[in-house]
This record gives sequence, structure tokens and C-alpha cells, in this order.
Amino acid sequence: MFSELVALLITSVLLNNAVLNQFLGLCPFMGVSRKKSSALGMGMAVVFVIVAAGLVTYALYYLVLVPLKLEFMDLVTFILVIASLVQLTEMFLKKSSPALYKSLGVYLPLITTNCVVLNVCLVNISNGYDIPHMLVYTVGTPLGFALVLYIFSAIRERLEVADVPESFKGNPVALVVAGLMAMAFSGLAGII
Amino acid sequence: MDLTRLILAILFFGALVGIYIFLFLKNRRTPKPAGCENLKADCDGCKDIYCPNHPKEES
Repeated sequence: MFSELVALLITSVLLNNAVLNQFLGLCPFMGVSRKKSSALGMGMAVVFVIVAAGLVTYALYYLVLVPLKLEFMDLVTFILVIASLVQLTEMFLKKSSPALYKSLGVYLPLITTNCVVLNVCLVNISNGYDIPHMLVYTVGTPLGFALVLYIFSAIRERLEVADVPESFKGNPVALVVAGLMAMAFSGLAGII
Repeated sequence: MDLTRLILAILFFGALVGIYIFLFLKNRRTPKPAGCENLKADCDGCKDIYCPNHPKEES
């Protein structure tokens, strides 16, 4: 059981990475990766929202939708729960922690449309995870997203001062880097 | 699908939409902390012009 959970954690963080393997969350991956500080803020906000959304949607599915036989409403329910959760989190941060709001709050509206959040909620259900597996997958996936986002932003910061051909400057060379990162991460497949 | 499930589904959907609208309005009315009035997300990624963080083109 324990080794299975460790394998799931490694898989969700590295091998089956949301960005580089499943091509999810590419909008913030490209948009908020120019500076390491922005990437760190976005990564932390994504971890927070995904963990909260994963727990709430899992509970709602098995405690409300299944007993009422409304399983077909999972998609629309999860979308509305994520959007509501983002509003609630933003309001909570505004009132309780101005410092945290300054670093995370500005990225919260972006997360509503981040497909990694919805993917985690849906995979928890479709794969039939029990609670330990759900917890590991719900924590591992956003950690993988945050890790890749931070590494990518560090590379992009160095690319700003690198001698890149004119036609490759900006997004083109960033996409080449993303492709190389995806290949590098796929090379980790042998560790499991 | 029987009528009871249909009514339950509509009520459940209505409740979720109601919760979202309530939280959206509450969040909008909550004042931002001092020093956070003009924060920008520093996002220049996608071309979704309906995103609230999409940088408006200056004309």
C-alpha cells in the first residue's frame, strides 16, 4: 500500500506531469513564467486551490451526487465548486492575510480557468481512488505543476540575457525549452 | 430519468449557481487590503481577451 502511494506520488509529480506529459495548464505555464517570483506565487496558489478543490469535490461526489444518483452532473458541479472556491479563497485572503493576498491573490482569478484543477477533480473520480490515493494524487499533481513552472521560469530568466537568434526570441525559444523539458522528464520513466 | 431526479438535479444546479453568485458578490464588495489596489498578475500568456488579467492593448 505504502509503496503504491509513493509510486503514485512520483508518477503524479514527475512522470505523468500535468504540463509536460498531459499538456494541461499551458496558459499559466507560458503566461506567468517570465519571473521566478511570479512563478512561485502562481505555483503556491495552484497548490492551495487544487488541494482544496480536490477535497471538496471528492466529498461532494460521494456524499451528495452518488446518494442522489446525480453522478452525470459531476462536470458542471466541479466547475461551479472550483469557481466558488476561488471566490471564497480570495475573499478570505483579503480579510485575513493582506501579505498572502499580495503574493497569491492576484493569481487566483487565473486559476478558475486552469484546467489542471478540473483534471485532478475528474481523475480522482474516474480512477476510483480511495481517500489515501486521492490525497496523494491531489497533492502530487499541483506540486509537479509548481515545480515545472518554477524550473521553466528560471530558464526563461536566463534566456532573457542569452544570445538567442532574433527570430527565436521570446515565446519561440520558450516553447523549444518546454519541449526539451518534456523530453527530459520522459526520461525519468525508468525510475518506477 | 424520472421526474424526481430531474427536479433534484435542477435544484442542485440552482443551489450551486446561487452559492457562486453570492460568493462572487461578497468577494466583489470586500475591500482590497491597503497597498493591493493596483496589483497586476504579470501574465502575458494566452490570447483569452475575456480573462480579467488579459493586458488591454493601448491605443
